[in-house]
Formats: sequence, C-alpha cells, structure tokens
Amino acid sequence: MIIVDPTVTNTDQNNCRAPAINTLKGKTIGVLSNRKLNADLLLQETARYLVSRHGGKVLPMVHKLNPSAPSPGNTLRDLSPQCDYLLTAIGD
Amino acid sequence: MTSRHIEIQDDLLAAIDYCYEQGWTDGLPVVPPELSRVEAMCAMEGRPIETVLATHPATGLKLTVQALGVNAVMAGCLPEYFPIIVAAFEAMNKELFNFHGSTASTGGSAPLLIVSGPLVDEIGMNAGVNLFGPGNRANATIGRAVRLTLLNVFKMTPGISDKSTQGNPGKYSFCIAERADCNPWPSLALEQGYPEEVSSVTVFAGAGFCNVENHGGNTPEAVLSSMADAMANYGCISLGQSVVVLSPEHVRIVARDGWLKSDVQTYLFDHAKRSVAGMKNVGKFVQGEYTKQGMTDVHRGLKPSDILVTVGGGDAGGHSAFIPSWSRSRGSIMQHQSIGVCIDC
Repeated sequence: MIIVDPTVTNTDQNNCRAPAINTLKGKTIGVLSNRKLNADLLLQETARYLVSRHGGKVLPMVHKLNPSAPSPGNTLRDLSPQCDYLLTAIGD
Repeated sequence: MTSRHIEIQDDLLAAIDYCYEQGWTDGLPVVPPELSRVEAMCAMEGRPIETVLATHPATGLKLTVQALGVNAVMAGCLPEYFPIIVAAFEAMNKELFNFHGSTASTGGSAPLLIVSGPLVDEIGMNAGVNLFGPGNRANATIGRAVRLTLLNVFKMTPGISDKSTQGNPGKYSFCIAERADCNPWPSLALEQGYPEEVSSVTVFAGAGFCNVENHGGNTPEAVLSSMADAMANYGCISLGQSVVVLSPEHVRIVARDGWLKSDVQTYLFDHAKRSVAGMKNVGKFVQGEYTKQGMTDVHRGLKPSDILVTVGGGDAGGHSAFIPSWSRSRGSIMQHQSIGVCIDC
C-alpha cells in the first residue's frame, strides 16, 4: 500500500534557536512587549533587575501590534543587531 | 512541493497503527491516506496539487492542495466535501482571522465552520437535530480535517505550539450547517454577498459552547434576554465577536413578531452588558477597552454586527447556542469564503 505523508517540511525558513550567550554581564537588552495586560510592567521590572545584577543597558521598549500575532518581520530584524538578547512576551 | 509517498505493508489495521506511530492522529484512529484516495480527493480541486492555500505566519509552513487532501482522507471525508475544507483554509488564511494566535493560545479556541447555501443539502450536511453532535459524516469529518491539518501541516501540537489551558471538544471537530427551511431571514451566504447558487463557509475562532435554554419565554424579548445574559456572563464578556445559533423554536418566536436579523443583533448588543462596578468587582474592567467602546456600561463586542446570528438545530426544544470568540478584542475577526468558485476571478 502506498500512503502519502500528511506533514510538510519548511522549505523557506530555517527556524532554529539562537546560540546561547555565555554571560549576562554588561549585555545590551532588547525588550519586546506583546501588549498583554501588565506585560510592560513585568518586562520593565525584569530588565531593571537584570541590569542591577549584571550591568549593561536596556534599549527602549518595542511593542507588537497584536499580542497573538507574530511581530512584523522588520521588528526583529531591527532589534537583532542592537541587542545581545531579547526579553519578550508573557502568556496568560 | 509535493508530499512524500511511503510504501507500507498491505494491511489496513497495520496501516492505522502506522499512522498512530507517526503521530499523525488527533487521538482517534484515522483512515490511512492511501494514494488513490488522496488523488480522488485532490481531483475535486481545479488547481494543481502544489497550489499553496495557506501559509503559517510565524513558521512559514505552507498548506498545499495535496497536503490538505491527505488530511481530508485521514479525517474520513468524501471527495465532495473537499471544496468546503479548501474554502475554510482560504478564509482562515486571511490576516484578520489570525489562525496562528487562535490555535496557539491558552484560550483553547477551535475554528467553528458554518456552511451556508445549497451545498448543505447537496452533500447531506446536518443543519437540524443534534446540530453540534455526532452522527453526520460531512459535519464530523470536515471539522476533523481542519484539526488534522492544523496538527500535521501547521504543527499546532498540543503542549508545544498549542498551549490551550483546557481546550474544548470542538478541537476534534466543529462544523455545522445553517438550516435554511426555517430561517426567516436571508442566508449567511446571501448576506455575505454571494449569488444565490453559491455556498459559503464562515470561520470563527470559537471558545467553548454555551447552551441557552428557555422553554418559558414566549416573546422575542424573553428569548433574546436569555441569550444576552449568557453572552454577558462574567466568564465570557469581552469586546470579542459572538456566534448565536437560534433553534427553530426560538427563531419562530422571534420572527413571528416581524423582527429582522438586524433587530436581533441590536437587541442582543444592547442587552449583553455589565456595569462598570460589576466588571471591576470581578477584576475584568480594562479602562482602555471601556474607552474604546465608549458606552455607559460594558457591552459584549463593539457593535451589533459583531454578533453573527444564524439558525440551526432540531424542531423541538428551546435550546439555542452562544459561542464566544476566542479573542477578547480584535485578535481574530471571523471570515468567510465562497465554496468551489472564485468570485473575484
């Protein structure tokens, strides 16, 4: 019997994890809020805590347009070269 | 971009087990997607099998006619159902529907499909008794094909990319037909602007089903006040859209006094509300949403047309249905699509 595979593989995108950073010390932190209730506050406090503990700086917060939709492609492309790591989103 | 062919032993039960082993099922057994059945399914679509019908906005995974055909076979669909599933994914692929968010969210949404128009009778869909329940192959398998496609093609895997806190039973299958023979108003397909001979499918990112029972009310206001109260319950009220399926018994009471569908929508919007104090009391008052709505109380939705009203169910029983949107605001807006025809071509 010949059956057909119901799954597909992605031929356009190479989705993989970014390499882990080896230290948080002195790093630049990007902050991307998904606009959920209290998201800004949570992210600000988390970034503040990280800076107080490890130094470095925080970029101005950037917002998604819609909490449940992917951020527009240029959001991540713009942030990526500016920061060493990114804090993003909360789920509820 | 065509799907991989796999040769397995010529044993049906072994083939069912093989599908389980590959993780291709929704937990229930599937029909093994044997090649000739897939080809017959895809033949119902006029476009080439490589045609992309939908693309996942986050992962870029693409749904082709062929991949959809494979999953439709697995769900148990007959080929004549296939144009509905194609149209459903074309509707879900519209940006405002946001199928990534609605299928990934903790909210536990399932895409509700509402089929309207002559195709309902032509393929034997159920618009009557036990509308949301089992027993009809078309309803059951069309809805299931949508779920299998979300699982297999778009990898909306429970616990990994589908983070539903509790989910809902509609995530197995959630497909109904609009009942034409006791609908006092124009069909959804006509309202959506399609010609009389054209059917449509409406897709709605629905949360859990709420039965609205009223056997004592005998006026439009009495029946619809029960519905409005369900729509405004503290667990559901939000700025999101609504689907209301009036049973034949209830719609007869509403329509005999000459109420139009727009009257029903306006009445429901006006009465599906909570006070500011009440919303604050349960911790659900959000100033920004209140300002956006701009009314004294907090209403469900933003306007009467946020409430889709249709007719379905068995002849007997004062049971209608309210299905709240997954989205608490504008995160997903219901969409519709003509079935089997290209209106714009």
